Amino acid sequence: MRVKLTMRNRLLYSLILLAIPALGVGQERDAKTIVRDAIDHWRGLSSYTEMTMIIHRPDWQRSMTMRAWTMGDDHSLVRVVEPRKDRGNGTLTDDKSMWSYSPKINRVIKVPSSMMGQSWMGSDFSNKDVARADEIVDEYEHRLLGAEQVDGVTVYEIEAIPDEDAAVVWGSEVLRIREDHVVLKHSFFDQDGELVKSLTTLEIAELGGRVTARRQRMSKADVADEWTEIQVNEVDYDVELKESLFTLSNLRNPRDL
Amino acid sequence: MHLFGILLRLAWRNLWRNHRRTIIMLGAIGVGVWAMIFMTALTRGMVDQMITDSIGVLPGHVQMHHPDYRDDPSISNRVSISDAALNEKFDDADFEAWASRVRVPAVITSERESRGVTLLGVDPAAERDISFFDYDEVEGRFLESASDQGIVIGKRLAETLETEIGKRIVLMSQDPENDIADRGFRIVGLYSANTKAIEQAYAYIGKTTAQKMLRVDDATTEVVFLGEDYRNVEPVYEAVTSAVDDTVLVQRWFDIDTYLGTMLGVMDGFVLVWVVVIFLALSFGLVNTLVMAVFERVREIGLMLALGMKPASILGQILIESMFLLALGLAVGNFLAWATIVPLQDGIDISVVAEGMEMWGASSMLYPKLYASDMILASGVVLLLGFLASLSPAWRASRYEPVEAITKV
Repeated sequence: MRVKLTMRNRLLYSLILLAIPALGVGQERDAKTIVRDAIDHWRGLSSYTEMTMIIHRPDWQRSMTMRAWTMGDDHSLVRVVEPRKDRGNGTLTDDKSMWSYSPKINRVIKVPSSMMGQSWMGSDFSNKDVARADEIVDEYEHRLLGAEQVDGVTVYEIEAIPDEDAAVVWGSEVLRIREDHVVLKHSFFDQDGELVKSLTTLEIAELGGRVTARRQRMSKADVADEWTEIQVNEVDYDVELKESLFTLSNLRNPRDL
Repeated sequence: MHLFGILLRLAWRNLWRNHRRTIIMLGAIGVGVWAMIFMTALTRGMVDQMITDSIGVLPGHVQMHHPDYRDDPSISNRVSISDAALNEKFDDADFEAWASRVRVPAVITSERESRGVTLLGVDPAAERDISFFDYDEVEGRFLESASDQGIVIGKRLAETLETEIGKRIVLMSQDPENDIADRGFRIVGLYSANTKAIEQAYAYIGKTTAQKMLRVDDATTEVVFLGEDYRNVEPVYEAVTSAVDDTVLVQRWFDIDTYLGTMLGVMDGFVLVWVVVIFLALSFGLVNTLVMAVFERVREIGLMLALGMKPASILGQILIESMFLLALGLAVGNFLAWATIVPLQDGIDISVVAEGMEMWGASSMLYPKLYASDMILASGVVLLLGFLASLSPAWRASRYEPVEAITKV
């Protein structure tokens, strides 16, 4: 049902697009810029976030509280605070590489390429989703499908098609981005144009001086009642972070918990 | 000579005195020999195919790697000789075919699934004779050049990944610095193989494309050489070893796949054991027949001895009779085997049990292989052991005391 709706929407937007020829000029750059801005807005030059991740399955549900630091495009560090038994588990990403640390085995493991497609901490996000959120800018062709007014705010719908040799399996991704750079929905379509999974923003709030998504849910299209939600509790943007935060030694010996 | 002629004639006639017994015995020997040869041909066919299949996949009769490659088949362990140097060394060499390639483990991902595969970066022109499938039989097309941007995977793998020709998949591996090397590829062809496992295992991309993706310039991880016959790889092996130094490791196929190598040796032993076992069962019938034949003719033998025939001639006569019996039985058995195997040589469909067979790498078609050497081995063993088994009744017959034998009731 959701698939059909989206397809119809896309058709609708295409029609709108045809009706407004002015939009066609320079829209490629515009679309790319919108996406770029959205990612920068969401992350800032550097950020500190405290969030809760809820993994929901038909017969169980668990939640984790985590702290995350990001700096620039490449560096990020995520560390689990709650529940107690997972406390200290961490993930460090640097460019395309990813390391994970678990205090229980006291080892830093470089996540091998073979595991990049697998689930991150048991959630519906893959390691890849976590390690490289911004390749959507560089390795894709963007197209503005349309713009509409929702509650008096303009919402852009942008289709991103990965380059021929991009390491992306999706046929296309469709993003709905509000004019204040908040991503409302990020849908992943397979190469037949069928929806596979989508990241939906459920709640928007002003946090750390910026209006951002407060609650986002990743759900797969073909399995009902399975999703992962990320709820942001606290954000600080453009914080002063040391380079040493994003090192393997810091991953192993947390000085931040 | 004259005596031998008489003995031959006596033995032949004695053989047909109780023709029903002889025919039954002939039948028994015939079926026994048939079973020996037929079973041998079946297993031979199976092993042969396993080996050719596996060599086809290995592939090549002789391979060259970095010395550590077998323990850690990663891109870090590259062949130290550059492609240019390899060409110089082996272009004029007398191989059926040879090729250098990039062979590393990789992960292939579609929208829904991901699988571990062996990535083969190949030069399609050089691999034509080495490849285990025919380029023309590839659904879609095979790679066209070493810098082809497409990927060719097995049919089964495509099913598992829920993808098809024309769609993109992502291939992920590691570069020499252990960093992730990945790229999207469009599937241009699907190959078929004899077993599911093989169709799941290999993904082909162009060699140059692979080198670019893994960031290794023109290095390769494997060089393969194909000789004329997998049973005789020494000439190729020597030619290769003499051309390189010890920074690379050159191995024959049976060094690489020791299981297969052992298999071939075990097979020869197995054939002999099988033949002997069947013969042991047969020998009871044979000895019994001879004992009966002698027992029936005690008085007659006594008479011949009394008339002056030497015991040695009695012994010879019985042995010749036994040999006649065996030779006829062997002729029947060999003919039966030949007549049943030849029509089956196009293959027996055993797809009913294919899943089980695949577990040890055999395919769902069984092609019996009739080797002259196996027929000769079976016949030789039967004749030799038959001769030994007949010695005892023949010896006893020749040792009769003429008077006692004549008067025996």
